Amino acid sequence: MDSDEDERIPLSQRPEWSDITPVPQDDGPNPVVPIAYSEEFAETMDYFRAVYLADERSHRALQLTSEAIHFNAGNYTVWQFRRVILEALNADLHDELEFVEHLASKNSKNYQLWHHRRWVAEKLGSEAAGRELEFTKNIFLNDAKNYHAWSHRQWVLQNLGGWEDELAYCDKLLEDDIFNNSAWNQRYFVITRHPGLGGIEGIRDSEVNYTIKAILTKPENESPWRYLRGLYKNNMKAFVTDSKVSTLCLKVLTSKVNCVFALSLLLDLLVHGFEPTQDLKNALESLIPESNNLDSDVAARVCLVLEIMDPMRVNYWRWRKSSLSSHVEDGVKNLSVH
Amino acid sequence: MADDDDLLWSSSTDRGSEVRLFDRNRHIMYLQMNYEILPSGYEGQEINRLTLAYFIISGLHILHALDHVDKEAVINWVLSLQAHPKNEAELNNGQFYGFHGSRSSQFHSLDKEVSVPNNSHLASTYCALAILKTVGYDLSLINSTSILKSMKCLQQSDGSFMPIHTGAEKDLRFVYCAAVISSLLDDWSGMDKEKAKNYILSCQSYDGGFGLIPGQESHGGATYCAVASLRLMGFIEDNLISQSTSSCIIDLPLLLDWCLQRQALDGGFQGRPNKTSDTCYAFWIGGVLRILGANQFIDEKTLREFLLTCQSKYGGFSKFPGQFPDLYHSYYGFTAFSMLQETDLNSLSVELGISMF
Repeated sequence: MDSDEDERIPLSQRPEWSDITPVPQDDGPNPVVPIAYSEEFAETMDYFRAVYLADERSHRALQLTSEAIHFNAGNYTVWQFRRVILEALNADLHDELEFVEHLASKNSKNYQLWHHRRWVAEKLGSEAAGRELEFTKNIFLNDAKNYHAWSHRQWVLQNLGGWEDELAYCDKLLEDDIFNNSAWNQRYFVITRHPGLGGIEGIRDSEVNYTIKAILTKPENESPWRYLRGLYKNNMKAFVTDSKVSTLCLKVLTSKVNCVFALSLLLDLLVHGFEPTQDLKNALESLIPESNNLDSDVAARVCLVLEIMDPMRVNYWRWRKSSLSSHVEDGVKNLSVH
Repeated sequence: MADDDDLLWSSSTDRGSEVRLFDRNRHIMYLQMNYEILPSGYEGQEINRLTLAYFIISGLHILHALDHVDKEAVINWVLSLQAHPKNEAELNNGQFYGFHGSRSSQFHSLDKEVSVPNNSHLASTYCALAILKTVGYDLSLINSTSILKSMKCLQQSDGSFMPIHTGAEKDLRFVYCAAVISSLLDDWSGMDKEKAKNYILSCQSYDGGFGLIPGQESHGGATYCAVASLRLMGFIEDNLISQSTSSCIIDLPLLLDWCLQRQALDGGFQGRPNKTSDTCYAFWIGGVLRILGANQFIDEKTLREFLLTCQSKYGGFSKFPGQFPDLYHSYYGFTAFSMLQETDLNSLSVELGISMF
């Protein structure tokens, strides 16, 4: 129907609909926040109500749902009725995939569309995996952070398969845009849930190396810093003892630019019981203006530098400083449990 | 965008002095206009008409201007959207008996009064109750048994909720809706809180924020749904950050750090790392910080400045600076200013998403 959008023929003038009496919307005597519906919208929904009430599971009803969805892609009643019709007609679901792809090319930020897509893919089963992954890939060409598409992709991987190339795909997306946090998240999803990778402990080492490289390219990029911390999520002991992490902090601190995330990670290390090297202490020293150099505790000094370098969050870093002793205790306590 | 420059200013006379203020009167006018009739641009969202009404009516309440609303008409209209089971037996048929979002999901058969498709929806039910509460309707008059008993069948084995019994996506948004509904009706028999809690916890990501479903990227809106739901269900206390973190069921230090890092250099809040600031996250993330007791860490001055660049000269707020306003971003702009304690605004129940009395 989309090809003739501009010259839509009213349903009332289409011979194939002449037997249908439209059912107008009954808004009651005192409608609240009424909508100034366009004529086309109102007419389409009036006919939709009529076929819905008649429970007409026909080709023309299917076509009508396409038109109604075009006007109102969020209308779950229309989508639901469409699925009832598709089942009744035993329709070719590959056509339905095309229908969704066409809609998504115009507006892919709609929950109902994605739910419908999943319904179709689920019916097609594992044969659909490749096409579904391709479909989301195409969405990412224009909108690499599309939340719906990422949900769909994760569902496909977990339910239909296709994990083999996913880590390489993350590499590719991060090569295109290293700031793409959705791609970093997908990377985490893959390394923690890919059935063939053996879990985070086995892959940590190579992932840490990859991430450190990414950080050193753009130390102001928050995403890999968070990812790096995530690699140690359930193993704080490894976090504190892995010299790669503290060496990274040292490198970034020594460069003296964009070191807020390095400082923040260093603070995290310290509250979890990390003993700073003399090099790190010296690097920190060089970042503190002398007049402020009053506190002897290393973690407190880190907070002090953060107060200066990240003035927007000055109250937060002050609070972190004031609550240091209890944090360190918690951190050390947790460490000894492991 | 040079032509739109004056969209940034609350009043053309202020331009020289660069004074930007929250323009309450214009916001009231903007909402009143939309209350009278919504432009056809909203027809694509007509299925959520109750939600649009919620933005307008609760918005007017935040702006201290509820006297513009015909409360009686609002109550009757909202109540007319409730789905009622014909009898006790129907309550166990697996359908949800809540509120319809609009007349395009609720209409009557030609010969009978019976509403034909029962397509009532959790989000619409939340908005219906929020509106009724806002206009002062006594919620104990509602047939809450049918809502809550039937709501149970929407909860999944993993604890998440589906919004509608005919099938839809399941995620944190609807856990939140179920929690607010239970809280407003003061009855938690319609959900398994323990399961809901475990689902929420499984959505906390490696970076401390929450995704809408387990494994998904942390997102401001999802994080709000998670934290507000935990608060409503009583699994976390107010001012969490003043308590010891080791006994907390969520990873609080990471969450706090993630939230605060969402305030970008332009002063606004972004919904995800490395994304553009957007008006609504001043509420979604700001609200989380408020529940955690950490709102004093927000740089309020720059946040206010950012939000005012999204204030339209016609009233209302846009998503990004200098664009046309819409109801969604306007509402969350108002709630953000309420949290910033703008004068003449009603204060907010952050976890319910409506103003308090």
